[in-house]
Amino acid sequence: MAASPEVENLVEDASKTRSREVATRVLLAGSALLVLAVPFLGASPFFITLLTEALIFGIWAMSLDLLVGYTGLVSFGHAASFGFATYAAGIFAMNISADFFLSTIVAIAAAAAVAFLTGLVVTRLSGIAFAILTLCICQVLFQISVVWRSFTGGLDGLIGVPLPTLFGREVEPGEEFYLLTAATLIVCYLLLRRVVESPFGKTLLAIRANEDRAAAIGIDVRRHKLVILILSWMTGGVAGTLFVFLKAGANPMSLYWIESGNILAITILGGIGTLFGPIIGSIGFIFIRDQVTTMYRAWQFSFGLAFVLAVLFMPSGIAGIAERIWRRLWPARS
Amino acid sequence: MAGAFVVEGLHKSFGALHAVNDVSLDIEAGQVHALIGPNGAGKTTLFNCITGFLRPDAGKVSLNGSDVTHLPSHKLVKTGIVRTFQITQVFGELSARENVELAARSREGYNFDFFRKASACIEAREDAEESLEVVGLIEKAHLRPEELGHGDKRVLEVAIGLALNPEVLLLDEPTAGMSRTETERIARLVRQIAERTSVLLVEHDTEVVLSISDKITVMTQGRVIAQGPPEQISQDPQVQDAYLGAVEVEED
Repeated sequence: MAASPEVENLVEDASKTRSREVATRVLLAGSALLVLAVPFLGASPFFITLLTEALIFGIWAMSLDLLVGYTGLVSFGHAASFGFATYAAGIFAMNISADFFLSTIVAIAAAAAVAFLTGLVVTRLSGIAFAILTLCICQVLFQISVVWRSFTGGLDGLIGVPLPTLFGREVEPGEEFYLLTAATLIVCYLLLRRVVESPFGKTLLAIRANEDRAAAIGIDVRRHKLVILILSWMTGGVAGTLFVFLKAGANPMSLYWIESGNILAITILGGIGTLFGPIIGSIGFIFIRDQVTTMYRAWQFSFGLAFVLAVLFMPSGIAGIAERIWRRLWPARS
Repeated sequence: MAGAFVVEGLHKSFGALHAVNDVSLDIEAGQVHALIGPNGAGKTTLFNCITGFLRPDAGKVSLNGSDVTHLPSHKLVKTGIVRTFQITQVFGELSARENVELAARSREGYNFDFFRKASACIEAREDAEESLEVVGLIEKAHLRPEELGHGDKRVLEVAIGLALNPEVLLLDEPTAGMSRTETERIARLVRQIAERTSVLLVEHDTEVVLSISDKITVMTQGRVIAQGPPEQISQDPQVQDAYLGAVEVEED
């Protein structure tokens, strides 16, 4: 008996998706290897440092993607997660221990605590109200970092954060620190990939699509928002920790609203709801900023213009376009 | 399993407007209870009060004897009180199957599972398939809502509801905007699912209501004006005036 066309379609669909999935895995593994291989390909120290910063931004942008892309919560104050962690990790490293794991854990825990406390309020909101309140919270943290001089160093920030140590050994700036950053990025990506594909992650999609409908199938919307906010801040905290070691210091400007705007634009340009896109967006941003700032001063203007054009003409971001091409490369099995 | 569901003296007002005014109704296990009334009669407000989307000013809702009045909607679902929406609100980016699986996983308590793959929840998969089978959507399970016809989308809402294993299923105008044949399909489906769950149904199509309900409650301006089995309701002069208008009831 011949299978019905419907069933045939299903089978074809499944094998098509399967081969694309395999190809995607190969591509991701290849990218990961390439990222890890950069120092061995004769890249200049300057390039390595720039790429380190880009990958740190990549972790941070992924953390924002959890909110914007996966849950539909647009935060205008995501510098808070990052900047707060730079201080937490920096102060810990200067006073207690520069162990990378310990500092990261402290920064993650501190970020989680702030996310929990602010989350009790912000998770009641969505849309514009959520955006504005997150912006306010970030500004409050910024003001604290400027005013509380004895603790934060005021406008000068923290200066002289030591090099991080790993298993008792100092991580040298440059290639070693780059490899640490790249490895952290890969671990974060894999963990978050897992989370967004889990039942929890799918539940977030439901909340993004329609909060009332989500509640009507038994989803505790507020609790989910709170958990994803904490997870997002924790990931941002990882980025902040790496950043404070990269710069050997923390600065209030990491908490400034412009940084919140930059990271939001990076995430959207890269492609929300993909995790991968924001990493691409970060690399693009850091390198273009480096090139353009030396050429002319109004570079923020050109970045803003690029952002507006992107939102108008490629709302799914760089990753969205890449995905469309990728799907074309792996069409139905011939 | 079908449950016994009671609403007693429910009130909800918005300022001076009594949207729901002292409404009581009870549904015996396995019954289909229809709620009818002209637009603005307060039917959807009543639904929202029952399902935790609005907080009633007074009154009590209970399921199998236990008070569930002030539970938030997501907890209410766990007790077995499940609703669908008047305007189709399925998740557009997910296929029909994934829409139903989401509900099944939610019921089975996977909402806070971070590390399993969503597609690896076998039990939820099977439950979703069963729901889709019941409503007759299994052949179209891989399609996304936008690829489904209007009737199928409404039916998908019902499948999502069924996957939550309701004791009482509240259907808010399941036949809204449907053709004659599609309406009949829903009517049959409602009768069929009443074997496993009690049903409270808001419906405009009087013919459907009279043919499938065990009991009917008629509301106008927030109040219940009549309540009883279809034969009684269709004879009620007050109801005929207020709502049924010139509709003739066929008798054999």
